[in-house]
Amino acid sequence: MRAILAPAAVSTGKIEVNMSLSASDLSSHEAQHDADSLEPVGTSGIAGLSPTKLALRRFRRDKLSMISFSIVVLYVVAAIAAPLLVKLKVLKPNTPHSDLLDVNQGGIPLGKFGGITWHHPLGIEPGLGRDVLSRLWLGITYSLGIALSATILAVLIGTVLGIVSGFVGGIVDSVVGRIIDLTLSFPQTLMLLALSGTMVGFLGGTLHIPKGENGNTVQAVYVILVLALFGWPPIARLVRGQVLSIREREFIEAARALGASKWRIYFKEIVPNLWAPLLVYFTLTMPAYVSAEAALAYLQVSVKPPTPTLGNVLTDSIAYSVSDFEFFFFPAALIAIIVVSFNLLGDGLRDALDPKSTN
Amino acid sequence: MASYRKPIAAIAAAAVVSVTLVACGSSSDGGKGKTTDAKGGTLYYLTKRPAEHLDPQRMYIGRDLADMNRLVYRQLVSFPVTTDKAAAVVPQADLATDTGTSSNDGKTWKFTIKDDVKWQDGKAITCEDFKYGASRTFATDVIIGGPNYILGFLDVPKGKDGLPLYDGPYKNDNAADFDKAITCDGNTITYNFSKPFPDFPLAIASLNSFGPYRKDQDQGDKSNYAVFSNGPYKLEGTWDVAKGGTFVRNPEWSDDNIRKALPDKIVFEQGLTNEIIADRLIADVGQDKTAITDRAIPPAYYTQITGAVADRATLTESPFVDYVLPNFNKMKNPKVREALKLSTNINGWITAGGGDKAYKPAQSIVNPALVGYKPNPNFSMLPAGDLAAAKQALKDSGEKLPYPIKFTYSGGTPTSDKQAAALKDGWDAAGFKVTLNPLTDTYYDIVQDPTADFDVTWGGWGADWPSIATVIPPLFDSRINLTAKSNGQDYGNYKSDTVNSMIDEAAQMGDVNDQAAKYAEIDDQLGKDVAYIPLEITLFYFLHGSDVANYISSPASNGYPELGGIGVKQ
Amino acid sequence: MFAYIVRRTISGLVLLVVMTLVTMMLFFSGPLHPERHACGKICSPAQIAVTKKAFGYDKPVLVQWGQFMQGIVKGRNFPEDKKLEKDHPELVVHCTAPCLGYSKYFTQNVTTLIKTSFPISLSLAIVAFILWITGGVLFGVIAALRKGTIIDRGIVGISLIFYAFPTFFIGLFLYKFVSIKWQLVPTPEYIPFSQNPWSWLTGLILPALTLALFFMAGYVRMTRAFVLESMSEDYIRTAKAKGLPARRILTKHTMRAAFTPLVTMAGLDLAGLLGGAIITETVFNFNGLGGLAVAAATNNDLPILVGLVIVLASFVILANIIVDVLYAVIDPRVRVG
Repeated sequence: MRAILAPAAVSTGKIEVNMSLSASDLSSHEAQHDADSLEPVGTSGIAGLSPTKLALRRFRRDKLSMISFSIVVLYVVAAIAAPLLVKLKVLKPNTPHSDLLDVNQGGIPLGKFGGITWHHPLGIEPGLGRDVLSRLWLGITYSLGIALSATILAVLIGTVLGIVSGFVGGIVDSVVGRIIDLTLSFPQTLMLLALSGTMVGFLGGTLHIPKGENGNTVQAVYVILVLALFGWPPIARLVRGQVLSIREREFIEAARALGASKWRIYFKEIVPNLWAPLLVYFTLTMPAYVSAEAALAYLQVSVKPPTPTLGNVLTDSIAYSVSDFEFFFFPAALIAIIVVSFNLLGDGLRDALDPKSTN
Repeated sequence: MASYRKPIAAIAAAAVVSVTLVACGSSSDGGKGKTTDAKGGTLYYLTKRPAEHLDPQRMYIGRDLADMNRLVYRQLVSFPVTTDKAAAVVPQADLATDTGTSSNDGKTWKFTIKDDVKWQDGKAITCEDFKYGASRTFATDVIIGGPNYILGFLDVPKGKDGLPLYDGPYKNDNAADFDKAITCDGNTITYNFSKPFPDFPLAIASLNSFGPYRKDQDQGDKSNYAVFSNGPYKLEGTWDVAKGGTFVRNPEWSDDNIRKALPDKIVFEQGLTNEIIADRLIADVGQDKTAITDRAIPPAYYTQITGAVADRATLTESPFVDYVLPNFNKMKNPKVREALKLSTNINGWITAGGGDKAYKPAQSIVNPALVGYKPNPNFSMLPAGDLAAAKQALKDSGEKLPYPIKFTYSGGTPTSDKQAAALKDGWDAAGFKVTLNPLTDTYYDIVQDPTADFDVTWGGWGADWPSIATVIPPLFDSRINLTAKSNGQDYGNYKSDTVNSMIDEAAQMGDVNDQAAKYAEIDDQLGKDVAYIPLEITLFYFLHGSDVANYISSPASNGYPELGGIGVKQ
Repeated sequence: MFAYIVRRTISGLVLLVVMTLVTMMLFFSGPLHPERHACGKICSPAQIAVTKKAFGYDKPVLVQWGQFMQGIVKGRNFPEDKKLEKDHPELVVHCTAPCLGYSKYFTQNVTTLIKTSFPISLSLAIVAFILWITGGVLFGVIAALRKGTIIDRGIVGISLIFYAFPTFFIGLFLYKFVSIKWQLVPTPEYIPFSQNPWSWLTGLILPALTLALFFMAGYVRMTRAFVLESMSEDYIRTAKAKGLPARRILTKHTMRAAFTPLVTMAGLDLAGLLGGAIITETVFNFNGLGGLAVAAATNNDLPILVGLVIVLASFVILANIIVDVLYAVIDPRVRVG
């Protein structure tokens, strides 16, 4: 049985820089409560209850899930390894090779196939001749790092507010509900774009967040913050819904009767029941934020080059569709593979964790 | 601001450099059996950045100044339509009967307005219209953003904050001051300046802010995009701020020896990206066959400029010079600055920006097209530099190595990033340890802050009129730039009493050539101090459609397409 | 029900008021100097101060907000200068209520700017909406009916791939290849419907397709899931058991159950899209609300940004109210409290 779709959970300005896919999937499978006094009659919230082993077995049986899982693991390992390889000088994302460029042709790589050689397996970048593989590889670290931080922060804010809202109820609940309304009503892309200058100035100037190398720490903090600050409401609603349904169950009653403290109940009893939907949410939000970073880079409000995020490299590459097709193709393909595999992984996890799901 | 990458740009000179690529004159553009110098047709102008102002007293972008001079805003004197780069910066009589007479050491200028020149509604252009136009610049709370040189030059009393007491025609306080400074006698207008203004005709021809304005058409801020023409065209309907507008023939236009006014219609299409413009002009279909642009071909497209397409590409020198400059508040050791200069990787910067069709190495901050240009001998070793000598100079400086420096620049785009990385490469090799600090929105806040901690920054400049007087004083006179809160345009916080006094000497000279010689001396001093390091002159590598006739550009059009001479094949 | 709608509307209005304040405070939290930008190439600090005053940015945020709210209720004059109004009425811009402010950059009332940009975003949203809804539902149903086959996988896979490439990449790809290189459609540009309906459509088709391809993935997957899920519901099984023909079950029962939430979501997505698609409009040089937003952000044009936030938020709030009410009407399981 499906309860009402939480109205704003899937709406608004998220257009294009967005997480509509994950949000809509979630809302179709998880019970959601509307903060706006539209009370659903029924709730499901089965997901967390299915035994982990069963889920694991189901997950392992699904070929597509396993493939996408392997790709995701590969990306994560690559992301962790990249800074190390840069230190060891295996990857050289910042070393120019002007000698390999054609000065008379706008600085595109000499030779065929975008300058692909043994030394530069994905070719070199036009203009400066930096190694494309190195930049993309390190770009995975930056892009996944940003997406991961933003997702963690969003989940954290959402979970805390959702639990508090669900448990305390009353005024707190409706205040959180108002904040959710406020957040969801803001046109997200517009705010991301418009606030960049002033907020980065604020973070760096007033809050003294260090500028870091290439002045990018503060810019990265901005991107993470805004993604998270606009991303938490669906999680808060999800968690609140779960809390409401779990709260009424026997084992909580039993814990209360045994005199367990409030916080103990929150974290020992509720949180374990939330991990399954949160995990699904997590895997579906990550790729959305990777895309979001790319879109922000296109609008020039992401982390600035020369820091090689995937968005930065892609934004640079789109002009070269004809003159340097290899350079044009690789960054977009890499982003697409990340997004697809994370999404498939999320689907697989959801199917495995929720035996009721039908697809 | 000093950057043409920001919404403010400037005007001056440029030159057609590549004979092989330029389709100058009608001979190379003939073909297809069509006549080239005939009137008629529609010309399309594809561009990216929307015009910020069309109000003659407010516009300040080199492209718009040149375009509107040719289409709708005639001046007392204007530059001729020509490809001869020397002749292109010699003003000709336009609305005035001659090029003006000066007296009193260049402090007084007189012009007589032609009798039969009219506004688009058929009324005659009067001396009062010129006077009213000049008065508008004084209303600094309404007429925002335009060139305001007249505030400094005109002989009117000033208040404590340096602004004139006369505050424009709207509030009209102290109007008597202004009435004394500019006087009308029939059709003769007299300007009285407080200091010599020998290059005043150059300023008139370059900027539209000295042009006439009809009082009954003035609605202040509301007139920002209103065009009340006295030129060969007039605006059809209204100007769409985002999209552009269409100019059609103005039947009241007469007595003009400068403009050919060939097309019947000129349509401006704003807001396109450089890539899309290049794509469309390469494809050359439909109305794009009669299209021109002011956007350079992106380096990524150079491989596509071959064969017939290459015949439609032109390479012109722009009025702009890019430079880097040390922060004198931090980099006080002259040896360190010398090492910085010698290790500046200009060739890498140029390659990263697109190579030899995008930039040409510069030998001075002064653009070669300016009257009295001389290469600065202190930069003769550029663009190659001298890495060994740089290493030695840094060693001799007595500073601890590697010497850490922070390079702050206007970044955020892939190209600016690559160019900065190329500079870092060169400086690092000489013994510096460079941190890159790309800024976007906050760039001017940082570089104009005298307490900022950068060691090196970037600047770009184009002269407002083809005279060095609009380059060196605004950039390096510490008295007009440096205050407690801001360094104005003197981003490097450069302060030299020698240079300041030489600037004063130049300002007192009533002759353009004497002035130019003095400025060359000042430039030499700046080079010795390494007050700046010239990088390159931006080149304009433009495409146009195959049915565009007589494509030309010159310093008179700031290197942009010369709308006074370009036509459409019939 | 009526009381509920009134209550929701009031709370929506309160929300909008709070949003204006939040937006202004956020904007003024950091060091931005639009006046310096506007002042010109060579500007003394005294002139910058004059410019700042002319823009009205010299006043405290709360005062500016107060003026803004007053403008919405009563209308405003720009500049607010009684003497000037008397001496030179032609210089004063009057902005009638509800006044969202005056853009110094565009020298135009924000309300007027939004009104002229809106038809472009509206056209784009409608065409995109039709494309993605028909495409999404059609392919979703096909995939569900052919569950597990290569057709199912192909549809889901391809839609996911379109979703996975960044929007601006897809948009630029379509622009460069479909329009410029292969000349399959004319150069994308906005031509008003009233001027020429066919050109309107052909000019819009690529940006609309870009948006549709992005949204379609979600709708394909959702439609597929909904159809599969409702086919397994008890009453469908009952219908099957009763021997109703498959097509009848699909159209009469399954689709109906599956579409209710789908339409709800589509409504909300459409509402969001009415506020302009910033990236797609940027890629295709459309001067809708998205293009206006980019121009305003580039120039730090606060009045436009605040105005856009209000208008866009009202779309979303309004759509939410409508959807909630409709949902309550359609689905008896939901009660309005």
